Amino acid sequence: MEKILTKKSFPNWIAKLATVQIYAPVVKDDLWSYEVVDAAGITTEYTNAIQSPKKIIFPQRELFLEFSHNDNGSPEIRELLPEDKESIIFGIRPCDAKGVSHMDKVFGGDFEDSYYWKRRNQVTLVGVGCNTPPSPNCFCTSVDGSPFSHEGLDVLLTDMGDNYYVQTFTKKGDKLVNMSKGLFAAPKPKEKADLESLHKDAETKLPRHLKDTKKIPPKLKGLFDSEIWDDESMSCIRCGICTYLCPTCHCFDISDEITSHSPLEGKRVRTWDNCQFPDFTMHSSGHNPRPDKASRLRQRIMHKFQYFVEIYNNYQCVGCGRCISKCPVGIDIIQVLEKVRDHV
Amino acid sequence: MSDNVYIPKLSKIFEIKEEVTGARAIKTFRTQFVENNGFSHKCGQCAMLSVFGKGESMISISSTPLVKDYLQFSILKTGRVTSALHEMQEGDVIGVRGPYGNNFPLEKWKGKNLIFIGGGIGLAPIWSVLQTALAKKADYGKLSLFYGSRTSQDIVYKEDLKELKNDITVHLSIDQKEKEWEEYVGFVPLNVLDKKPSPKNAVAITCGPPIMIKFVIQNLEALGFKDDQIYTTVENKMKCGIGKCGRCNIGMHYVCKDGPVYSWAELKKLPQEY
Amino acid sequence: MVNLDDLKKEALNLLKDEKVKYIIGYTEGSNGTSAAPAFIKNPEDTDKLVWNPGCFHNLTRFLRDEKKRKAREKHPDERPVGIVVKGCDSRAINVLLQEKYIKRDDVFILGVSCESTGVIDEKKVAKKLKGKKAQKIEWDTNRNLVVTTEDGTTKIPADEVLAERCVECPVHSPVVYDIFFGDKIKRTTDAQFKSVEKIENLSQKEKWDFWKKQFDKCIRCYACRSVCPMCYCDECVVDTISFAVTADTTAEEKAQRIKWIEKSPTPSETFIYHIIRAIHLAGRCIDCGECERVCPLDIPIRFLNKKLEKEAKSLFDYEVGFDPDQLSLVSSFKDEDPEDFIR
Repeated sequence: MEKILTKKSFPNWIAKLATVQIYAPVVKDDLWSYEVVDAAGITTEYTNAIQSPKKIIFPQRELFLEFSHNDNGSPEIRELLPEDKESIIFGIRPCDAKGVSHMDKVFGGDFEDSYYWKRRNQVTLVGVGCNTPPSPNCFCTSVDGSPFSHEGLDVLLTDMGDNYYVQTFTKKGDKLVNMSKGLFAAPKPKEKADLESLHKDAETKLPRHLKDTKKIPPKLKGLFDSEIWDDESMSCIRCGICTYLCPTCHCFDISDEITSHSPLEGKRVRTWDNCQFPDFTMHSSGHNPRPDKASRLRQRIMHKFQYFVEIYNNYQCVGCGRCISKCPVGIDIIQVLEKVRDHV
Repeated sequence: MSDNVYIPKLSKIFEIKEEVTGARAIKTFRTQFVENNGFSHKCGQCAMLSVFGKGESMISISSTPLVKDYLQFSILKTGRVTSALHEMQEGDVIGVRGPYGNNFPLEKWKGKNLIFIGGGIGLAPIWSVLQTALAKKADYGKLSLFYGSRTSQDIVYKEDLKELKNDITVHLSIDQKEKEWEEYVGFVPLNVLDKKPSPKNAVAITCGPPIMIKFVIQNLEALGFKDDQIYTTVENKMKCGIGKCGRCNIGMHYVCKDGPVYSWAELKKLPQEY
Repeated sequence: MVNLDDLKKEALNLLKDEKVKYIIGYTEGSNGTSAAPAFIKNPEDTDKLVWNPGCFHNLTRFLRDEKKRKAREKHPDERPVGIVVKGCDSRAINVLLQEKYIKRDDVFILGVSCESTGVIDEKKVAKKLKGKKAQKIEWDTNRNLVVTTEDGTTKIPADEVLAERCVECPVHSPVVYDIFFGDKIKRTTDAQFKSVEKIENLSQKEKWDFWKKQFDKCIRCYACRSVCPMCYCDECVVDTISFAVTADTTAEEKAQRIKWIEKSPTPSETFIYHIIRAIHLAGRCIDCGECERVCPLDIPIRFLNKKLEKEAKSLFDYEVGFDPDQLSLVSSFKDEDPEDFIR
């Protein structure tokens, strides 16, 4: 549905929503971060948070199960699922929401991931579109996205000056509007037209562009053994910034954390892991199929722009620009992809 | 609990057999599910074994699916989890989840001669399919096995192999000469070249150390085997077993889910990342 | 003033005369304020070299990659690698020499003086620019940062945008080099440990709260470790596996490797990671400040190392990276060493 909400009524709506836990961007030590907030702490004016709300649906640490030894020394296990708790992520950017929809594909499929879906099903995503690009390295329009894309979103807000134009796309989204029906008005034809032109205008403001992205996946197929990866990874320091900040990277590790050795007690946990760490693929024998940083950069790029496209028909990149902004040595995924695209 | 793919099923180790001792120790474990919640597998599939407190390790199931009341795993002691497994006693309980991965297309091979070529612990994944074919011997042509290890001490399934000789042709080999050894001395690929199995109406299934597989395939090609007549298995580091944790991929293939069984024709198309 | 053309010319000659394998220097970055590390092999590419206030990277970190690459080669090229270093970076070379991680012949050092300034703190500059993108930055002769944006140029006094480590830097120009660029300006600082005092003056509880809040942000990307020229160990407590594993490593050795730290970003594990790293850098850290610069969550990691640097100086009169022949702090003992810290 499509509605108009005046900025005056906005706090009233938020107050209604606040019956469940709300995550929203707040400034924490000079950086925007998605945290649990009370209704008064919510704003729609913020730049891109350092970490996407991925961390809420796919937390860096997820408890899988508890294990212990019983009196006979035999193991007993108990499943640990996320708690029953509904929440709203308010102010997720369209790119980050698209990232969530990519994660949905990975954690769905033949083997549904109980932990992910328990969290995912309990969260409603309220997006705030980007009238102006929230980061100097935004390039969503180059990877099939847009500043007002609604992929993955339940609700999208567009700042129209005095009003918000509110669009809902799911039953979850409808529910949020229906909670405070009286606050919302039907949009007039002029408002509809304004929305359209505002969305169009926003697309022209993107600071970064990658042309002919379509050419990249087929091009990558022939570049597995290319010297590109050596050249482009020379300055890589093999840290995990690009992947940990990425709203689509989903790789993880599973390990047992012991809290007592005797009697045995502990937890099996999932933690984020990433393809840029050399121990990620290293076999117990010492053999490593991706032994150097060239092969690991290649994996990152090929996963995002070839393998994911082959499996899910999407780029595994939403153009948020975080990996560019935060790379300690200036490795710029747009520039790497341009070199791939133009490689002869 | 049952629909959570990460929760292992408790299984009791009821039999442990010491296959090889020393630096390259191998033990064979037979396990039974503690509750009646087990699974049935296909030849070539793997299972994720848990030693609680140590972690998980992906191990191929070496028993044939025709045996319903236990699963068999032959495990080389390599790292944290496998060392812990080697310290376990009969009666101890571990976790098992699975089965994972694809399988050998045994149905497709009906009527064909099957040549199994294994090295070291690589006999384990072959064992499942070999035993299955053997049990349905009438469905297949001639069965034969090439198997080699570094020394005679390193041979797994020693007694089973002796028995197997009554049923099929078995070509054993060890890498270096030993006093009482009467069979072939030399690497497995050379033994294959020496015995010259015919590619006619045949499928070769090879499993072992990567370097052995590489030369076995080369030699099979030299003997006239076509790419789709050669099958092998691939392994990579794994954590989830279900194509999500992101580390075992070779190109777009997750070995845990889309592998571990590949024909050489299929494997050739994938990048060298294993 | 540092003459960039001189630097380019020397680099060109070194490559033309095949005296070095390649040159690790700085080139233009893609974001306006930051330069980027460059690995220059072809003489014609030396024109891409830059020297500007955004050259904050400590390039000696890449000597580790070079060493590993060389170890993998069957017939390694034994020529040195050319490397551009600032004062702080040059001290890292001395530490690597002291620890026998590299040999003096492994590097041909192009030392560049920071003269009266240093490098910028990108965050400070970004705040001044209020969202505008810098196209070019340079120092003028009066210690001002001249920033060019699409709106023209603005001047910002150096002290408002210099990286804290540069304000507290005791050297400003390379202490070891083969060629020197710029003026050798004698500059002293009475503020060498000023930033640490901010933390020292806190109560114990305030300190605990401060660090708890800071480490709570840590996502364990290990950028601080990865960027550090001293964090070159093949075996690190935070890795899940030892990279020193060979075909001869026994299963027992692998199985018995102690898991000191869990991967979980829980307070205990994250604390331990940062504390272990700080302790391992005591008497080794040369305060290039890279660990703090690269942290995506702005954790002021440098304080920890700076505190230990201060302790080493006040307790043992030990300074890092000035003398490649001095004995290392933690593996040497003198009769007059104080013991009053043992309680």
